[in-house]
Amino acid sequence: MEESKVGVYICHCGLNIAGVVNVEEVARYIGTLPNVAVARTYRYMCSDPGQDLVKKDIKELGIDRVVVASCSPRMHELTFRKAVEDGGLNPYLYEHANIREHCSWVHDDRKLATDKAKDLIRAAVKRVHHHEPLVIREIPLNPNVLVIGGGIAGMQAALDIANGQNHVYLVERDPSIGGHMAQLDRTFPTLDCSECILTPKMSDVGHHPFIELMTYSEVEEVSGSIGNFAVKIKKRARYVDESKCIGCGDCEEKCPRRTESEFEMGLCSRGMVYIPFPQAIPNTATLDKREERPCKAACKEACPIHMNVLGYTSLIKEGNFEEAYEVIRRTNPLPSVCGRVCYAPCEQACNRGQFDEHIAIRELKRFAADHEQELGKGKAVPAERTKEERVAIVGSGPAGLSCAYELVRQGYPVTVFEAGPEAGGLLRWAIPEYRLPREMLSNDISYIEGLGAEIKTNTPVKNLSEVFDQGYKAVFLATGADISQKMGIPGENTPGVLHALDFLKQVNFGSKVDLGSKVAVIGGGNAAVDAARVVRRLGVGEVTVVYRRSRDEMPAHPAEVAELEHEGVKIQFLAAPVKVLSENNAVTGIECIRMEMGATDSSGRRRPVPVEGSEFTMDVDNVIMAIGQGVDKSMLPEGLSYTSWGTLDVDPVSLQTNIDGVFAGGDVVSGPADVIAAIAAGKKAACSIDAYLTGEELSVEDDGRVEKLSDEELASIKERFVSRARVRAGKLDLEKRMKDFGEVEGTYSPEEAREEAGRCLAAAVEGCFECGECQAVCEAKAIDFGQEDEVVEVEVGTIIVATGYDQFDPSGIPQYGYKKLDNVLTGLEFERMTCAAGPTEGRIQLKDGRQPESVAIVHCVGSRDQNYHEYCSRVCCMYGLKYAHLAKELASADVYEFYIDMRCFGEGYEEFYKRLSEEGVNFIRGKVARVTDEAQTDEEQGKLIVVSEDTLLGKMIRVPVDMVILCSALEARSDAENVGRIFNINRRADGFFLERHVKLDPVATPTDGIFIAGCCEAPRDIPDTVAQAEATAGKALSLITKGTVTLEAAISTVDEAICHGCGRCEEICAFSAPKVISKNGNLISSVNEALCKGCGSCAVVCPTGAIGVKHFTQEEILAQVSALTEAH
Amino acid sequence: MAEFEPQIIAFCCNWCTYAAADLAGTSRVHYPPNVRIVRVMCAGMVNPIYVLKAFEGGADGVLVAGCHHTDCHYIDGPVKCDDMVEKLREVLHVLGLEDERFRRELVAASEGGLFARTISEMVGDLKKLGPSPFKAKTEALA
Repeated sequence: MEESKVGVYICHCGLNIAGVVNVEEVARYIGTLPNVAVARTYRYMCSDPGQDLVKKDIKELGIDRVVVASCSPRMHELTFRKAVEDGGLNPYLYEHANIREHCSWVHDDRKLATDKAKDLIRAAVKRVHHHEPLVIREIPLNPNVLVIGGGIAGMQAALDIANGQNHVYLVERDPSIGGHMAQLDRTFPTLDCSECILTPKMSDVGHHPFIELMTYSEVEEVSGSIGNFAVKIKKRARYVDESKCIGCGDCEEKCPRRTESEFEMGLCSRGMVYIPFPQAIPNTATLDKREERPCKAACKEACPIHMNVLGYTSLIKEGNFEEAYEVIRRTNPLPSVCGRVCYAPCEQACNRGQFDEHIAIRELKRFAADHEQELGKGKAVPAERTKEERVAIVGSGPAGLSCAYELVRQGYPVTVFEAGPEAGGLLRWAIPEYRLPREMLSNDISYIEGLGAEIKTNTPVKNLSEVFDQGYKAVFLATGADISQKMGIPGENTPGVLHALDFLKQVNFGSKVDLGSKVAVIGGGNAAVDAARVVRRLGVGEVTVVYRRSRDEMPAHPAEVAELEHEGVKIQFLAAPVKVLSENNAVTGIECIRMEMGATDSSGRRRPVPVEGSEFTMDVDNVIMAIGQGVDKSMLPEGLSYTSWGTLDVDPVSLQTNIDGVFAGGDVVSGPADVIAAIAAGKKAACSIDAYLTGEELSVEDDGRVEKLSDEELASIKERFVSRARVRAGKLDLEKRMKDFGEVEGTYSPEEAREEAGRCLAAAVEGCFECGECQAVCEAKAIDFGQEDEVVEVEVGTIIVATGYDQFDPSGIPQYGYKKLDNVLTGLEFERMTCAAGPTEGRIQLKDGRQPESVAIVHCVGSRDQNYHEYCSRVCCMYGLKYAHLAKELASADVYEFYIDMRCFGEGYEEFYKRLSEEGVNFIRGKVARVTDEAQTDEEQGKLIVVSEDTLLGKMIRVPVDMVILCSALEARSDAENVGRIFNINRRADGFFLERHVKLDPVATPTDGIFIAGCCEAPRDIPDTVAQAEATAGKALSLITKGTVTLEAAISTVDEAICHGCGRCEEICAFSAPKVISKNGNLISSVNEALCKGCGSCAVVCPTGAIGVKHFTQEEILAQVSALTEAH
Repeated sequence: MAEFEPQIIAFCCNWCTYAAADLAGTSRVHYPPNVRIVRVMCAGMVNPIYVLKAFEGGADGVLVAGCHHTDCHYIDGPVKCDDMVEKLREVLHVLGLEDERFRRELVAASEGGLFARTISEMVGDLKKLGPSPFKAKTEALA
C-alpha cells in the first residue's frame, strides 16, 4: 500500500485528559511513527479553533488521513468527520481514539495511562492507514411519525408534530388517552385542576385531522431504520364497535360483573364493559374480555325468558346478593315464585351437567329472593308513567302478571282484572302451600302493584267493548286453562270422585274436604303429584297414583316424584282406570286395566295399549282425577275464535286474537303449561302491545340455540375443573311435613349459596363472560362479541416513545403497612380521593367514612432507598406539599410531613414550600421507620402511629394520626424491558430508558430516529415532561423538514473476484441483505444496500474473505489489533 | 523484578459494551489500565482471526463482550458470537491456551460497573496465570 500522510490531534480536554495523560509526551512519540505527518495537541479539539487545526493541516500540509484522540467516538466522531469533510477529505478517512472515557477517566497512574494512550493512538494511526473513502447515501424520509403512549408527553409530541400538518399515529395501550396526568386532582405548585388543563388537549388529540389515534393498541414489532420504519400495531378487540358506540354508559350500568377500577386506583369498581373515566377519549366503551367462557351458557338459551343466569350466579359467588337480586328482577317478574316452582329448563340444559351435576340455578334464584326479603328490602319503586294508553289485562296468573310487570316498567298505566277473590291465578289456588308459601307469592304480587299496576279482584271481564269503552286501548287475555278434563268412564260422576284442580282449590282456600282412608289419584303430571301429596298431608294413610305409562314417561318433575314416594305415596305404573266402582252412591274402588307400551304417538311418546283381560280392582274411598286441563270458554268474552284444541286462536308472533287490540297468552293459548312459559308469553305480549300502541314494527328476537359442549370442550373442562357435587339445601323432616303445609324445600345459607354459585363454569372466567346484558341494553347495537384483535401495519420515518412510569407498590415495604392497615394510602389513591369527580366526590375520608383529623405524609417511599430505588423520584416533595395543602383545606386536618430533604427546585416550587410552612404544616425531618396500629398510650388508641426518627431533635418520635399517605416512587414500567427490545432502546440499571447522552442528547436514543420523552426516561414533573415531549417533536420535525436521511456507509460489500457464491452469508444474515445471484454464469453474492445494517456477521462466516464490512474490514481491524499488541 | 502486567485486548460491541466502558469513564469507575479496547459494531462481527492475531501478537488475554441476547441491535449477534466463541475455544485449547485467557461476557450499556469489574477480575486471573505461552515463544523468536 502507498504511503499515507496522517495528521494526529491529541486533545487535552482541559485537564480531563491532560490531567492524567502526558499529552505532550504522547504527541512526541506519535510523531515518530511511520506515515505520521504531524502530531499536535490542543486544549479543546472539539472547539472551532481545534477543528480549524485539522482543516488547515489538510490544506497546508496535504495530510490525507486524520486521527483525533479525545473523548468517546460516540460523542464526537461525527464532529470530526464533519471537520475532515469540510477540510476537503472523505469523512471516512478519519479514526477516533478514545483516551478520555477509556483512559484518563478510569486510570490514575499517569505513566500507565500515558502508555495506554500511546497504544490506542498508534493503533488508530495503523488502522486509518487502511481506511478508504466511502460514499454517503441519502434516502427520502417518510414524514409520518409514530408516537407511543397517550399520556401528556405523547399527546404533546403528537400535537406539535400534527400541528405542522404531519401525519401522526398515536398508540395508547389503555382504552383512553390521558395517562397518569388524567388521574391527578390538582397540579403543584399552582393548584390548578389537572383535568381542566389536560382534557382540552385530549380533545384536540381526539379530533385532530392529522392524528390517527389508536387506543387499546400495542406495538408488536418494529423493523427498518430511521426514515423508513415499518411498524406492526396490534389493535386489541374492544368488542365494541367504535363507530357505533355513543358513550352513553348504559352497558356499564347493567353489567353484572365488577372489578376494581384501575383509573380510580381500586377505590371503586367498574363494570366489565366500561369507560374508564367520564372525559375519556375516545368516549367509547371497552369490554374487558380476558378469556373464552368454558361453557355455552345453555342455561340462558334454555330459559324461555332468557334470564341472565351467568350474571346473578357470578354475583352470588362474589357475595353480592342484592345485585344478584337486581339482575334477576330485570327479567323475572316473580323471583320468589320461580325460585320455588319453576321446572327450571335452565338446569336441565346447564353445561356443567355434562361434567358432573348441573348448577342449582333455581335454588340460587330463590336464595337471592329470600335474602332480599330477609333484609326487608325487595320493595318496588313506582315506575315512572310515561305513556297515556291504558292496558287491560284479564287474569292475574303468571302470564297476566308478567305482562303487567313489563308494561308498567315501560310506563303504561295497567289494570289487571281478576275474577277470583285474590290475585295469582293458578299459582295461588292450584299450587300447594308446601311448595309455594302464600306469603312469597304475595310478596311478588305486591312488588308488581308497587311498580304501579292496579289489580282489581272479583272483577270478571265478560264484555270486551265495555273494556274499550272505559278507555283501555289494548287488552291482554290471560285467563288460563283451569277446568279439569273428564275421563269419560262409568261412575265418574259418583260423589267422592274429585277433580284435581277443584280439590286443590278447595284445600288452598281453606275449605274442608272429606276424604276416606284410601285415595287413588289418576294421572302422572304435576297436578297429580301435587294432589297426592296434599292428600297425604290431609291425613290419608294410603294414597296411590295410577299412571298409564311407565316412570320414564311421567311428565311430573322427577324431583317432585321422588318426594312423592318419599312421603309414602305408591305409584301404580302402566295401569288405567276403566270404571269407578260404587255402592250407595259412594266410591268403593276403581277397576283398572294393565297397560303395555306400544308404538310412538304424535306427541313423541310411546302410546300405552291395554292388555286384554288384565283388569284388576283397587279398593279406594276417593278418586282424584288429574288427567288434564282445558280452557273454560264460559269465562271468556264473546266473539273470540278458538283452535280445534279449544284454546284461543292467536297470531303466533304478535299473540293478537281475531279482535284488533286484543291479545292473549299463557295457558289459554298454549293449553296447560308451566309457570315460566306463561311468564314468557306475558313478556312477549307486552312487547307486542307496546308495538301495537306505538305503531312501531314488532321486532322479533332470535331465540338462540341451546348448545352442548363438544367432546374436546368437555375434555378441557375436565382438565381445568375439579368435580364437585351440587350443594343440597335442607328439607323439612318427613314427620313435620305431614302435620301442616310447611315448605318442604329449604334454602341455602349465604355460604352454601356462594359455594354452589362457585360451581358455575362461566363464573370462573376472569373478566367478561358474555352474559349479553350489555348487548341487550345497547340501543346503538355497538356490542360485538365476535370482534377479534387486528394487526395494523404502518410506515413511519421517526418514532417517539413516551410510555411513562408505574407507581411503586409500597406493599413491598411491609413496615409501612400498606394494604395491611386501613387508611394507609398511596399518592395516586389520595389524588382520586380529593378529586371532585372521584369516587368520594372530593371528600377526604377514612374507611369508616369519617374525615381524618390528622394526616401524615411520608416522603421517599421506595425512592432514595438502597433497598428499593436509589434515585430520587423528583416529584414527591412537591406533591407531598400539595397533599398537605389539600388535607388542610378539605378536611381541616393536622398535617405532618416526614421528609429527608425538601427538594423544591422548579419555578414557584420553593415559594410553595414557604407558603405551606406558613399554613402550619408540621415538617419532621427524618425517615419513617414504620407505621403501626399498636398503641402504647391512650392517645394512640385507634390511630395509626408513625414511628420515625426526627434528625433535627436527634431522637425517635411517635406521631398518632388518622391517615397516612405514602409518597410512592415512580418506577420504570414493568414491561419496559419488552418495550425496549421492540424499539431497540437500552435501559439503565434503574430500568428507565437510556438516552444517547445524558446532558447533550437527552431525548435521543442510540437508535437513530427513535426518541424518548417523559417519565419513561426518568421520573420528572409535568413541565419537564412537556418540555421533553416538545423536544422530541422538534427532533422529528427537523428530520421531516430535511426530508432525507443519511444511510450508514459502513455496510457489507462483496469482492466478486473471489466470491464462490456458497451462500453462507445469505444463511447467516438476519436482514436478508446478501443474496446469491448468477452473474456472467458465475454464482456470486450480492448485497442489498437498503437492507444491510453493517453488523458484519457475514464476514465472519465467509470462507474466502470475499464479503466484508466497509470501514470494519479485516485489514483495518487486524492492523489495529497488531498495533495494540506491539511493544513500544 | 517488576510485577507481571498482563495485556488484554477487548473487542467490544458499539451499542452495549463499548457504551458501558464509556459509562464507566463518565462515572469515573476505575479499573486496571491493562486493557485495550477495539470497537466493533457487533460481537457477531468478531472474526476468530482477530482473536488469534491478538494472542499471536502477545496478548495475555482476550475479551469479547457485547449485548445481552435480548438487546442486540442486529437481532441475533450474540448468538452468532457464542457459536464462534465455542468453536474457537476448542482451537485455543489445542494450542495450549488456558481457558481463562479467553473470555466472553455480556455487558449492557447501563452496566459500566460490571465492565470495570470484569476487567479487574480478568487482570487478577491473568496475573495468577502469568504471561501467555505464546508471548514467551514470540519473544524467544525476537
